[in-house]
Amino acid sequence: MSVLAGIHAIWLRELKRSLRDRGQFIGGVSRPILWVLIMGIGLNPYFRGEVYGEVRYVVPFTFIQFIFPAVIALNMLYTAVQSAVSVIWDREFGFLREILVSPLDRWAVLLGKVLGGATVAIMHGLLVVLLAPIADVPLTPVRLLKGLGLMFVLAFGLTSLGMIIANRMRTFEGFGVFANAVILPLYFTSSSIFPLDPSLTRAQMVVIFPEWLVTVVRLNPLTYAVDALRGVFINFHQFPWVTDLTVLFGLSLGCFLIALWDFRRV
Amino acid sequence: MQPVVEVENVTKRYGPTVALNDVSLHINSGELFALLGPNGAGKTTLVHILCTIHAPDKGTAKVAGIDVVRHPRQARSRIGVVFQDPSLDDRLTVYENLDFHGRIYGVPRAVREERIAEMLALVGLEEVRDRLVRTLSTGMKRRLEIARALVHQPKMLFLDEPTVGLDAQTRHKIWEYIRTLQQRHQLTVLVTTHYIEEVEQCDRVCIIDHGQVLALDTPAALKARYGQERLRVRFKDAGDAAAAAAQYAARVLRHAGDEVDLASEGEAFVEAFLSAHGTRIRALSVESVSLESVFLSLTGREIRDEAAGPRDQLRAFGRRGGEHTA
Repeated sequence: MSVLAGIHAIWLRELKRSLRDRGQFIGGVSRPILWVLIMGIGLNPYFRGEVYGEVRYVVPFTFIQFIFPAVIALNMLYTAVQSAVSVIWDREFGFLREILVSPLDRWAVLLGKVLGGATVAIMHGLLVVLLAPIADVPLTPVRLLKGLGLMFVLAFGLTSLGMIIANRMRTFEGFGVFANAVILPLYFTSSSIFPLDPSLTRAQMVVIFPEWLVTVVRLNPLTYAVDALRGVFINFHQFPWVTDLTVLFGLSLGCFLIALWDFRRV
Repeated sequence: MQPVVEVENVTKRYGPTVALNDVSLHINSGELFALLGPNGAGKTTLVHILCTIHAPDKGTAKVAGIDVVRHPRQARSRIGVVFQDPSLDDRLTVYENLDFHGRIYGVPRAVREERIAEMLALVGLEEVRDRLVRTLSTGMKRRLEIARALVHQPKMLFLDEPTVGLDAQTRHKIWEYIRTLQQRHQLTVLVTTHYIEEVEQCDRVCIIDHGQVLALDTPAALKARYGQERLRVRFKDAGDAAAAAAQYAARVLRHAGDEVDLASEGEAFVEAFLSAHGTRIRALSVESVSLESVFLSLTGREIRDEAAGPRDQLRAFGRRGGEHTA
């Protein structure tokens, strides 16, 4: 019982800190606008091929519909990194000590932190979902619930990943560069802004990717998370559900366990 | 009555450095106990071992009868700690910091509310209850940390350098709170410090240097045993100084150029000295018995201070808004 109260306290603190951080909120609002409204609308006309004079989409969706689920993942990715910063902050500014000398178990401390970070990440994911009408993605309650479930698993995994990174960082210097060096490559190679395998689409003759890129995309775990989100939100996916969900759950659990292993040695 | 803190033969090494070397001490219930030593003496290491942050290499440590190595979680719920470096969340309000503490220590809501109100009143922070901690002064933050350490009603309070970096007036205030707490709540308190004048008011003082206990007793007993009244004399010329040093050979504590320090006792000695050498001296002062002199005679040096380390530099970076680099 007191363990639950402790987890709740840590969760609440993470939430309060994030909600009071205006910079984080501005980032969370500006990214979806940038990606969905500007990138999405701007590239919409180019996301189709012309076969015998007939205009066809590479995948049977508009570009804005296609990247919409990926931007949800992107926004959550940034928030997860922010929670890594919060861990470094706690460690360097002493608050971690306050937690470590409390009678709360280490796993409970980590779980509280990850759940707090995940909650904030889901909120930022929902900021993207708000743009669904503009992106022409019809939302039904079932879709939203399924989407929330996937977002939770993804957020949990990404926040745990943030903890793992934080444990390996000593200072804030260069963290911005580092964060971007992780976030953007992960995002770009997750089949987020272009479909992975054209053979799955009607326009397979139109675009041919080099083999190395296909390999990178297939190795990137985020690919499967984006694919699952796409499956839920626009009913299009390139991999079987089983693959998507296995990778997603595996990633979350794996990252959490590694983070826990790290945290026990602090 | 069983001691609240029992430290037996504790040794702790960090690589080649011996931080604590076979340290044993007991702290009795209700005592205000001071751990006095220069920076790097091993005070913080000992506190960290007692707070279960570090484990000793050898020896045992118990708090409230609980072995801190074998049952760290039980031990933690019985102690309150104020660390040397601030450990508040400055993005939360004063109340939220206290409330967070109460929650993670499993204090039920009703008790929590009551304790928080009581502690805020004790350290005089009721008016800033809903202010963000970042807007508080250093002294207020310290008081808040002391209040926080007591929300879960610990048996034992550890204060690691609670007054370092504070101005004289605030330091005085902090000590007032510490004494009030100890007396009114029958709390056992361990304070580490390198400000000698602060330990005069403690019940017992343990002088520690290079990881070893040099002396442990009441301030009065320490002064009686190790203290030395000292006569500092500066002669007009070095020849006279040498002559005086030869005359009082058994009493010379220091002799350098035209300066001679003599062991003195009482006014009679000073007057006898003055009638003999009064015309040849440029300056003379009598240093009465103080813990300062106790420390000097035990360690052979004066307590030293230290410059800002890398942690302080990082903190300065953080204040400039370092967190928003991502």
